This record gives sequence, structure tokens and C-alpha cells, in this order.
Amino acid sequence: MSIREELRCLAEEAQRAISQSSSLQELNEARVKFLGRKGQLTAILKSLGKLPLSERPTVGYLANEIRETLEESIVSREKELKKELLQKKLEAEKVDITLPGKRPCVGRKHLLTQVIEEIIRIFMGLGYSVVEGPEVELDYYNFEALNTPPDHPARSLQATLYVKTAHEPKSSREEVLLRTHTSPVQIRVMERMKPPLYVVSPGRTYRRDVADPTHSPMFHQVEGFAVDKRITFGDLKGTLEVFAREMFGKDRKVRLRPHFFPFTEPSAEVDVSCIVCDGRGCRICKYSGWLEILGAGMIDPNVFNVVGYDPEKVTGFAFGMGVERIAMLKYGVNDIRLFFENDLRFLGQF
Amino acid sequence: MRVSLNWLKECVEFDLSPEELAERLNLTGTAVEGIEYLGKDLQKVVVGQIKKIKQHPNADYLKVCSVDIRDKELQIVCGAKNMKEGDKVPVALVGAKLPSGLEIKRAIIKGVASEGMMCSESELKIGEDASGLLILDESAEVGEDLAKVLGLEDAVLELEITPNRPDCLGVIGIAREVAAIVGSELKKPKIKLKEVDRSIHQATRVDVLDGDLCPRYAARIIDDITIAPSPLWMKRRLQAAGFRAINNVVDITNYVMLETGQPLHAFDFDRLNEGRIMVRTAHLGETIVTLDGVFRQLDETTLVIADAKEPIALAGVMGGAHSEVSEGTTTILLESANFNPRSIMRTSRKLGLITESSNRFEKGLDPNGPVYAADRAAQLMQELAGGKVFKGVIDVYPKPKRVLSLTLRPQRVNDILGTNLLPKQITQILESLELKVSQLPTRNSQLEVHVPTFRTDLEQEIDLIEEVARLYGYNRIQSTLPESGGKRGGLNLNQRISLCIKDILVSCGLWEVITFSFIGPQQFDKLMLPADSALREAITLRNPLSEEQSIMRTTLLPGLLEVLRYNAHRNRYNVQIFEVGHIFHSRPGEILPHEPVMVAAALTGSWRDNEWHERAKLLDFFDAKGIIETLFDQLGIEDWHLNRTIRPFFHPGRGSEVFIKGEMVGILGEIHPHVQEAFELPNPVTIFELEEAKLVKYASLLRHFEEIPKYPGVTLDIALVVDEVISNEEVYKIIHRWGGRLLGEIHLFDLYRGGQIPRGKKSLAYSLTFRADDRTLTEDEAKKALERIIARLKKELGARIRA
Ligand SMILES: [Zn+2]
Repeated sequence: MSIREELRCLAEEAQRAISQSSSLQELNEARVKFLGRKGQLTAILKSLGKLPLSERPTVGYLANEIRETLEESIVSREKELKKELLQKKLEAEKVDITLPGKRPCVGRKHLLTQVIEEIIRIFMGLGYSVVEGPEVELDYYNFEALNTPPDHPARSLQATLYVKTAHEPKSSREEVLLRTHTSPVQIRVMERMKPPLYVVSPGRTYRRDVADPTHSPMFHQVEGFAVDKRITFGDLKGTLEVFAREMFGKDRKVRLRPHFFPFTEPSAEVDVSCIVCDGRGCRICKYSGWLEILGAGMIDPNVFNVVGYDPEKVTGFAFGMGVERIAMLKYGVNDIRLFFENDLRFLGQF
Repeated sequence: MRVSLNWLKECVEFDLSPEELAERLNLTGTAVEGIEYLGKDLQKVVVGQIKKIKQHPNADYLKVCSVDIRDKELQIVCGAKNMKEGDKVPVALVGAKLPSGLEIKRAIIKGVASEGMMCSESELKIGEDASGLLILDESAEVGEDLAKVLGLEDAVLELEITPNRPDCLGVIGIAREVAAIVGSELKKPKIKLKEVDRSIHQATRVDVLDGDLCPRYAARIIDDITIAPSPLWMKRRLQAAGFRAINNVVDITNYVMLETGQPLHAFDFDRLNEGRIMVRTAHLGETIVTLDGVFRQLDETTLVIADAKEPIALAGVMGGAHSEVSEGTTTILLESANFNPRSIMRTSRKLGLITESSNRFEKGLDPNGPVYAADRAAQLMQELAGGKVFKGVIDVYPKPKRVLSLTLRPQRVNDILGTNLLPKQITQILESLELKVSQLPTRNSQLEVHVPTFRTDLEQEIDLIEEVARLYGYNRIQSTLPESGGKRGGLNLNQRISLCIKDILVSCGLWEVITFSFIGPQQFDKLMLPADSALREAITLRNPLSEEQSIMRTTLLPGLLEVLRYNAHRNRYNVQIFEVGHIFHSRPGEILPHEPVMVAAALTGSWRDNEWHERAKLLDFFDAKGIIETLFDQLGIEDWHLNRTIRPFFHPGRGSEVFIKGEMVGILGEIHPHVQEAFELPNPVTIFELEEAKLVKYASLLRHFEEIPKYPGVTLDIALVVDEVISNEEVYKIIHRWGGRLLGEIHLFDLYRGGQIPRGKKSLAYSLTFRADDRTLTEDEAKKALERIIARLKKELGARIRA
């Protein structure tokens, strides 16, 4: 066999080995076998010296050509094999996508906090500031300055939680108690600051109520008030309508009903059309189509006199709402005690 | 208060359905809490006339009756004995459903067919008499619906009367409101009284010894009374109002109270010592047995009605048993008085006795009301109890209450309400409420308003403005927003930081809880606080609901631990929570306590249960510390550290105090196993409690951009073996000090004990990153810096470097 034929046979054999190699290892073996330093092609090239000088270039050229072709084949075969390999690997890496995900641990704010923040957000948009007041309060701020008569039932030991003081109070106004509403903040702010005032005040409040599905000895209120020149009852109405629609949805109807509070006049209770039945009547709204959400009114001139404002120069309105009540209505919570039991199964729902 | 519409219609004309009227009342300030439709339980109950009564063939105690119900005659088997042929009785037809739930069906009773049921009062729940059939008046039309015949085709409005409107505690008061709402006239019942010649002044005398507590006392005497049941119409109305019918005299006093709002009391005149009345405060040691049969001891603050000898009634609250009207009563003294509201309230509260009467008096009634009410009652006693009314009224009323006159500025009305009402409109509204309005001649368009004395709530101009507003209609007032609103507002820095704190804790995986501000002293025992602990110095409630809610909390910890306990009892052992809330400490020289806001958290169990990819890992001190690190980092709080501390409720080796810039701001630690046990918790708990104001003080929400390193750093690891007592902080400080300017981050990546590490020693492994601002650092430079550090660690801490 001539050396040319030998080369051609080798090329064919090598080509076959390369294309038939089924793994990178086999491919490598083939390369070593044919193209390695001790490989067959090298061996042939080494025997090139035995050829007549005239043949050497053409045969050398042929050998190089074969080498290049084989190397190219090896590279492309390697690519193919790697691709197959990856394919197999990826196939083996298939996961059961129905396994549960790995959740990050996040907590959440208490529902009441969420509701308070929402209320405050709405009033901040209307230009209100937030001011808080003490929870342990003087009778003066909680009752007297708010025009509450001395024998008012709310002042009784059955209704209000009183605090033991080191010295016997000299008068009922010096009694210390757990505030029964957030309204004392009105007085404290007005004593300290001059109008115009646009203030909301959230916080804890207390009454001597035994806990049941609708009562809790501790609950939350948000008080709001505006004192300025030329504040009118119409402004109160407009403000509360904005609030109610932001809080309960823009389709809510709002109505004010005359009511009585000692420290506002005229006073009103404020209803929104029932969010459950949309006003048609259901169990939640006691078939009236309306849900009471807050109490409000024009600040009584007596209250202005108490803080040294001239009721002829400024007017104002005030409103107060129970946070639990709003949360219960908005989220359908049916027992006020749930807010303070802090069962994770409850907290987790909101 | 419950008001029958039929009754109301006698006093005012209106053409509104119960729902429409309720709506109008609601929108003018008389809240309607419900509408009850009477007679709706009496469908298919009609008037029947008994035509024939025969003995039941198979039972001695039963009768078989033929009953005419107009279009046919029914055969009904009946066990009652009080009927005779010709009587008209209620007949429940087949298909009727009685108030008791009983459904009337065709039946065979002892072999005889029965097609309905004749009923007693009690079976129809329209009265209490169960002794026999209800025998109806002869005038009742056969076949007519019973409800119609008995005046039960009526609706009752349940009204909420606000405490400022005692004038609405009677049908006439409500009728006055309705008249103003619908624009019709109030028709007060006219008094038609025939007095006999004998004068009351010859029969009795009244002495009011305490005119402050009893501004007015009016009395009438009626004799020849025959005590009997009241007529059906009156019983019905009392029943509709929620009252039990008793006898004609007592019913009339209740009826007139419901009509006029003025409580009345009838004494059995013959039972009064010397037949006279004294209104005075009780003498010490005096007693009375009240109508409810309770023996009561009186004191000198209690106003009583007495005869010549002893108290016969608690004035305005309840009568005495001794002078109670009974079957044998023939002569009564009718009291119609006005009492001081505060005095009535005190007595009622002190004795724990709240009655219809006390409830009205304590709201303050019109002193000009009693005589009309007395005359009205006398008239009814004359008509319904055959009484003879003595001539005249005793009326002790030394200081008559005058009509109040107020000035009202129409401009002020519009300024307050945001309306454009004309003086004429305002006048019209006020006049509809029986206020008299006249134009003041001197001033421009000011109005003078005379307020009748029954409107005790109208004392100032603003009160009149409210009347105008509510009758004009809140819904007709234009909604606006304050002219100058929206210029200020928003949160201040403290409030923003406070909000931030909650946001950060929530993002750390904690759930916010809200617990009661009051706790019980036993919580301090559970925390193992010694008797002299400052935390035990709590504000105490004077009238707590219970021992468990008797003091104001001085720490948030018990509340949080209680939440863990509550959830553990419900098999939730992985709980990570926080609360932000006030604690309370008394301040020397101050009446009101200090109320700092605390930020506290408690972590127990693991973040999650065993998972398919990860085993559960119990949380410990360092999980809580990590949250504080994150919190401080986010708040921009720098220069803080922990100091070891011993607290009774902490694990002795795992408690710390948190300091920022040298100021103690709170505590962090694992709770003592005993405390854990006291709160019935299966796993260790780590808590922290920080004072919010101090966090706010050191927090900074301002941030400055720092150049991001341009050149790569070189990271080298070292592992040291040191004595157990040497803290990470000590090592860290040396590395930091000797690392020089090139040292960037120091990261502890391993802590190891045991194995090749000798007892009493531990291995700490750090990776240190060196970096230069102006060039790429070579490994040699970094190694040189590391050598320096290692030399110091060896020298100062006796550290050995592990290969
Ligand atoms: Zn509804």
C-alpha cells in the first residue's frame, strides 16, 4: 500500500471513529489514537522521510489536510457530545414544580394599625397633622372641658376606669382616669396652639365594659378636628364625605343624622350606605341599608370659651370614630375580642 | 321609648307609612331603632260567635261548639268553661300560626272533628289571662280579623331619645316633633273634667320642706274609685309601649306618663297617716319597703314623700308598698311633681334602682308639665274607674319657671351652617316647634326667640341653630371643604421614624400584636420580679373589671408572653411578634404618669416548621439580635453595643442591655427557663424591649452616597484558636485597629469547638477583605497587612493560628 493510500485509509478510519464516539472520553481516545504524539497520523508523518524528496510536499500537504479535517470533525463532534450531555443533565435536573415554594418570612402590621394608617393617610391628604395625647388623662380634659355635666352617666364608676392617685383629688376635675375617647386631645391642642388647626389624633381609649363580641374595655379611636375662620357645617359634611368614600369606596352614599353630643352642636351621626348589601338591607345593617361609622359636629362655643378662643372669630368641627367598628364593618370581623387575642390565625388573614 | 303609631295619630295628623315616618324621624334627630308590626302573629285569627255548645260524647271535660265566622259555621272542640252561647271569641282558623308557634290543623279530638281553635289571651300572647277564652266585646263584628278589632293593626316605633330631649319621652312630645316635620298641628288631648263640690284643700295638705329638690308638687284627690282591669284599648297601648297592665288606676298613671312624659304616682289615700303629704329628705335610720318588695334603709340625702309619720315613697323613683293601690282602694291621692334631676339620679344610683320614673326625672322635666298630667289622669279615672274628682289642685310651686328669651342672629345661623337661609325661613322652622319668634326692633334683623319651658335643652343661640339645621335637613346643606384647608399637615420626623420602626420589624418577619394596656400584678410574679422591683411600681386602677386588668403595664413583656402562651395553647409554637405601645410610670410631683412608647418583640420556636428542603431551627438570642442590628442599620443608628446584664426574668448567661452612644435604650435577652415555664411555653423565648423616643433620638433617615469601590479587593481567611473567655468583640477590635487603611470588611464565618480544639478553647474564623481606593491591591500587600494583624492577635490574646 502506498503511503497515500495508507493516509486515506487512516482518514476514513479516524473519521468513522470520531463520528461513532459516544462520549467525550471515546472522542478523546480517538484523538489520541489518530492525532496524538504517538498517534497513527504522527507515525505516518514520521515515516515521511523515507519518501523521495519530490513526493514529500504533496504527501505532507495531504497529511496536513487530513489532520485539519479530523481536528475540525473532533471539535464539531465534541460540541455535539457536549450538547447531548447538557441535554441529559438538564433532563435529569427536572423538578416537581408542584412542590411548595420556599417562602421568605415576613410579618404584617395588626389590622387595627392598618386601618389607623389608612384613616390618617386620607386626612393627611386633606392637610391634617397628627397629634397624640396621653391615655391616662385628667377628668378635666376628658369630661369637664368637653361640656360633660358632673352627673353624666359616662362619668360614673360603672362606665369609666379611674386611677388611684397619691392624694385625694381636690375636685372632680382633678380625678385621673383612662380616657374614654380621643376627644381630650382637642382641648390639649387648642390650649397649646392657635388656629388654624387641622388635626387627627389616633389612639387607645378605655371604658369599663366587660368584653363581649361587641364590647372591649380597651379600643381605639381616631379623633379629628378643624378650627379656622369660617368653618361651616357644610365643610364638616364635605370632609366626612371625602373620608367615607376614600375609606369604603367611591360609590358609598353618606348621610348625616342629627344626634346629641355634649361638646358639639349641631351634632350628627354619620352613616354610609351598607357595604355588604349596597343599601338594599341585610343583617349587618339591620335591614336599614345604612351603617353608622362615626359621630361629629360643630365644636360647641362653650368648648372654645374653655380654651380661650373667641367663638365669634373662629368656628370648627370635630369628629370621632371607632377604629374597631370600622375594621369590623370593612373586613367583616364579627367579634371585637379577636383584635386583642392576637391569634396568629387571625392576624395572618389581613 | 316605644311609641304606637295609632296613639301618635291621635295627637298629630300625618299621612306616612311607618317606614316613611321612621326615615323622617331619623333624619331630624329622633333615631328609630326598629319598627315592630303588631298583629302580624294574628293572621287567620278572626272573631267568631258561639252559636251552640254541646257536651263532647266521649270526654266529660270537653265541649263541642258551633261557631259562626260569618261565611260559615265551624265545629270546634274546646276545653274551656267560661263561655256561653252567643259569646264572641277569637277563633284561630285552620292554617293559623299562633305566636307560640302552634299551627292550627284540622283534628279529630276523641272521635269528634274540630276545625280550628278558640283562644285565650295568653294563647294569643296579647295578655296574661290563661283561665279561659277571651270573651270579646259584643260590638266586635263576626268574621273580622281579631287584630283589627283589638286595635292590634298597629306599628310600634322603637325610638332612641337622646338625653338632651326629655320632652320626647312622651307621645305628645314625639307628636310635636312629627307636627314640625310634616307641617301639621299638634292635637294635645283636651281635658274634660267634672269636679265634685268637695275641695281637695279640705281633705289634705302638702308641705314641701325642700324646695330645691322638689320645685313643684301638684296633687289631686279622687274617691269612689272602683279598682278593675283597664279597658282593652288601654291595655293594648300599654302593652305596645312595653308595660304590663295591672289595674285601671295604676294603668292610668302609666298611660298618662307615656302620653305626657310626666311620671305620676297614685297613693291609697286611706293609708296615709293623717292623710297628708310631706316632701322632705329622709331622717337617719328611716326605712321603707318599696313596691318591688325590697326593704331599704334611707339616709339624709334621699328625698322622700312622707305622710305625717313616715316615708311612703322614694320621691320620683318608686312608691312604697304600704300605700300601694290595691283591690280595696277607693280613694287615691294623685301625685304629679317635679324633682331635681341630680337628686333623683343620686338616689337611683345609690339604691341601684332605675325606674321609668327615675329615668325621666333625672333627665330634667318641665316644671310646667305636672298640672296638665294630673288633670288628664283625673279625667281618665273619672271615665274609666268611676272616680269622683275633688275640686281643685294642690299646687306647691313657689318659683315658677319662666319662658326663656334668646337672641338669634340669622347671619350667625348661615355662618355656622354654610347656608343662605332667610330670617323668614328660620322663623318658620322655629315656630313649627312652638317657639315664639319676633323681630327685634332695635337691631338689624336679629330675632328674639321665646323658648317654651318643656324645651329644657335650648339655652343658647347655638342650640337654636341646631334646631334650624336639623329641621331644615342636614341633607339639604351643601357639602363643601374648608376654604383654607390643605396648607399644612403630614407627619413630623418623629412620627415618620415611628412608622418606619414598624415597617422594618414587619420586614424582618415579625407580626404586630396589640395587647391590653392593663395587666394583673400576678404577671410580675411570673416574671420573677423581686418585691422591690421598679417594674412593680405600677399605676393602679380604682375600679378595675378584674384583678387581671387592675394595673397599667410598666413593660410590654407580659403582654407579649401572654400572646405566645395563647398561641401555644392552640398548637402554634413558632411565634415571632412585636408590639409598639405605651407603658406607664408615675412621676414624682406630677398628677399624670409618664407614658413612654416601647418597642418590644418576642421570638420563639423557629421561623418555619420542618420543610422538604430544610430542617426547622430553633430561634435564639442571635436571631433577635440580628433584628436589632437590622433595625438600627435601617434607622441609621450607629455606635451602639450590648452590655451583659442580670435580670430576674433573663437567662443568667443570655441577658443584655442595649446602649446607643453610651445611653441605655433597652434590653435584649433570652427569658429564664422558669419564666418560660410560668407562661407554659415549650421552647426558649428571646425578647427585646426598646424605648422608642431614644431610638428616634439617635435615628437618622438622612443618607449620604458613598463611592462604590472601583478596584477589586483581596479576601484572606484566618482561623484562630483562643481561650473561651475571649469575646468576638475583643478579636474584632484588634483586627480592626491593626488592619490599617487597607482593611475593608471583617466577616466571622465560623465558630467551632471540640474536635482538635483543646477544651477551654474555641476556634474563630474570619475572612478579611483588603482594598485600596486608587489601585488594584496585590496579594502580597494584603498578606503583609494580615501578618501585622496576626502578630497582634498572638501577642494580645495569645491566639494560635490554625493552618
Ligand atoms: Zn346591609
